[in-house]
Amino acid sequence: MKKLLFTAAAICCLNISKAQNGNFTGGFESNSQWYQNDPGLDNDGDGIGITAPQDQLRSNNYFKLNYNYGKFTAGAQYEMYQPSPLLGYFPGYADNAIATFFANFRHKKLDVTAGNFYDQFGSGLIYRSWEDHTLGVDNSIRGIRVNYQFTDYLEATGFSGNQRAAFELSEGTVQGVNTELDLGSALNLETSIRVGASYVGRYQPSTSPDPNFPATVNAYSIRSDVFMKALNFGFEYVYKEPDAFILGGTAQNGTYSDGRAFLFTAGYAVPGLGVNAVVRSLENMGFYSDREQQGNAFLQQTINFIPGYTKQSSYAVSNIYVYAPQALLSPAENKAGEIGGQLDVVYTAKKGSLLGGEKGTTFSFNYSNWSGLEASFDLANNTYEASLFSRGERYFEEYSLEVYKKINDRFSVKLTGTQTYYDGIIIEGATFRLNGTAIVGDFLYELEDGKSMRLDLQHLAADADRGNWAAATLEYAFSSSLSIYALDLYNYSETDIHYYSLGGSYTKGRSRIALNFGRQRGGLICVGGVCRFVPENTGFTLNLSTNF
Amino acid sequence: MKQLIFLTAFLSFAFAKAQTELPELILRNISGKKVNIQQLSEGTPIVFSFWATWCTPCMRELDAIKEHYSYQQKEFGFEVVAIATDDARTKQRVKTESMGRNWPYEILLDTKNVLIRSLGNPQIPLTLIVKNNKIVYRHSSFTPGAELELFEEFKKHLD
Repeated sequence: MKKLLFTAAAICCLNISKAQNGNFTGGFESNSQWYQNDPGLDNDGDGIGITAPQDQLRSNNYFKLNYNYGKFTAGAQYEMYQPSPLLGYFPGYADNAIATFFANFRHKKLDVTAGNFYDQFGSGLIYRSWEDHTLGVDNSIRGIRVNYQFTDYLEATGFSGNQRAAFELSEGTVQGVNTELDLGSALNLETSIRVGASYVGRYQPSTSPDPNFPATVNAYSIRSDVFMKALNFGFEYVYKEPDAFILGGTAQNGTYSDGRAFLFTAGYAVPGLGVNAVVRSLENMGFYSDREQQGNAFLQQTINFIPGYTKQSSYAVSNIYVYAPQALLSPAENKAGEIGGQLDVVYTAKKGSLLGGEKGTTFSFNYSNWSGLEASFDLANNTYEASLFSRGERYFEEYSLEVYKKINDRFSVKLTGTQTYYDGIIIEGATFRLNGTAIVGDFLYELEDGKSMRLDLQHLAADADRGNWAAATLEYAFSSSLSIYALDLYNYSETDIHYYSLGGSYTKGRSRIALNFGRQRGGLICVGGVCRFVPENTGFTLNLSTNF
Repeated sequence: MKQLIFLTAFLSFAFAKAQTELPELILRNISGKKVNIQQLSEGTPIVFSFWATWCTPCMRELDAIKEHYSYQQKEFGFEVVAIATDDARTKQRVKTESMGRNWPYEILLDTKNVLIRSLGNPQIPLTLIVKNNKIVYRHSSFTPGAELELFEEFKKHLD
């Protein structure tokens, strides 16, 4: 039936495009892995190593097609996970079907969507629908969304619908209203001042015979952003009404608590110097369209967006111990939320100056610190007391300094030093707390005719868990289209395991193909400050993507 | 298998009808001011470079273009608009990184990814040359030296 529908929709699009002059956009992405047995990937020392999963060859595929004609746009995304999704993805994806579809009409100040839509209110602390294939997240809402631009400076959005849950819809209904006022434009000021207010509610009846917790949970937020010439700051506050307390995936009768969040950002930037600071505190801010999905490992059915504000690195040794935000209640760990922030400074020393030398030098500094809230739990009654502006136990702290220097027209160097404190007990439910020092040297040499060679050397010295690591990457680009790489991440002090990987990619215009073979280190894989767990594996990977 | 054949056939058709224009959209720049993206390329080619503060090759590309920018701008009217696809997590870093690195470009924020999604949600770095709102060149990925190819390509679209 679904296939028929898909065919019908496609033929319909073909006919329309023959008759009129609309256009298509879309893309195809395919990520496949062929898992292998690997006796050498033996973390626990039992001599067996890693055994390939039951479906050894797995593939995640996404085919997106949008058609636009004047004020109308319609589109659909077909997804196929065959025979089951890649390791670490939500097992509920094991199927193939049209996963999302929409029709949109835009005319002057009106923008109406029926079907699946993505949106975000403020920073996303109250609501964000988004899609990320690397994380396996698509929490678009299927329903109706209307946006209206009353004047140049005032707009409002309203929506209602059900969130996507793999190939089904969530039990809970979500609705929201957002208004944004651009005071700077309204009053004709030099300074840009924007204020906003939002409401988001979830309604989910319970099948429990005598539920003693609310079916409706409403959340409210206010915020403001101010941009002056060099300075900018903003704040946001969210209040969420009491929601059922979830323990082991089950709603606890008679116990519920409210939640709140506060976000403050400040920045200063002039040519050559940029500084920004973020402070955020959260108390019981998990917000899910299905209450019993709270804290699920696959990031399904999340209404709000709580990313980790820490430095993001692309180096292997710097991605082993990454902070994951702690927004949920956990009485056993005395955890009610978190408070913390980060500071970023980027400074470029001018050419010819003492620090800058002949070609200039860029310095990037980052500091982040995250702690639990001061909280006291009454375990017998499942209640607790906590303050949003208190600091309890330290969960994570990191300093990093990066220096980027172009030595001459062909050769550049980037050196990075990072000092990290990581509470593995809180962050990943492990049994260690760790201090680590990472040093990375990254060297790039440009040859003739678009050819280039990059080498990085990495080391992490850590006082717990698996101890010390060393890594190196060698990358060679034949042209702007074709490049190959080899990477080895080596845990030399505890397990003596090499996580090696070899691969290459070819890009031409709108299409890209990448192939690699190697070992994947298990653990949290974090993209954009959001993390998911991936088990260790060995195998071949093929990525194909094209856009049109 | 039938599905695959169908997809392939459909894909080739869709390619033929591929999008060549930018949608009607207003984005904000790092000073909070609104910019109509369709007006940027009126009468003159312009480079749209999609980047993010967490994307190392993107930052390399914009750093590399900067080295030649004032010369290319003066001689050939070379112009870059750098569109940051950073989401809520990293959007406050956009101004810090771009100003801290002395980038001479107009920086726009596509925080909700509306623009890049309308282009089929491709991977970044993505570089377009747009003229009179028509996409006349498209390249993704960056390797050192590719900026020189971009300057050459740009010249082809001058009147």
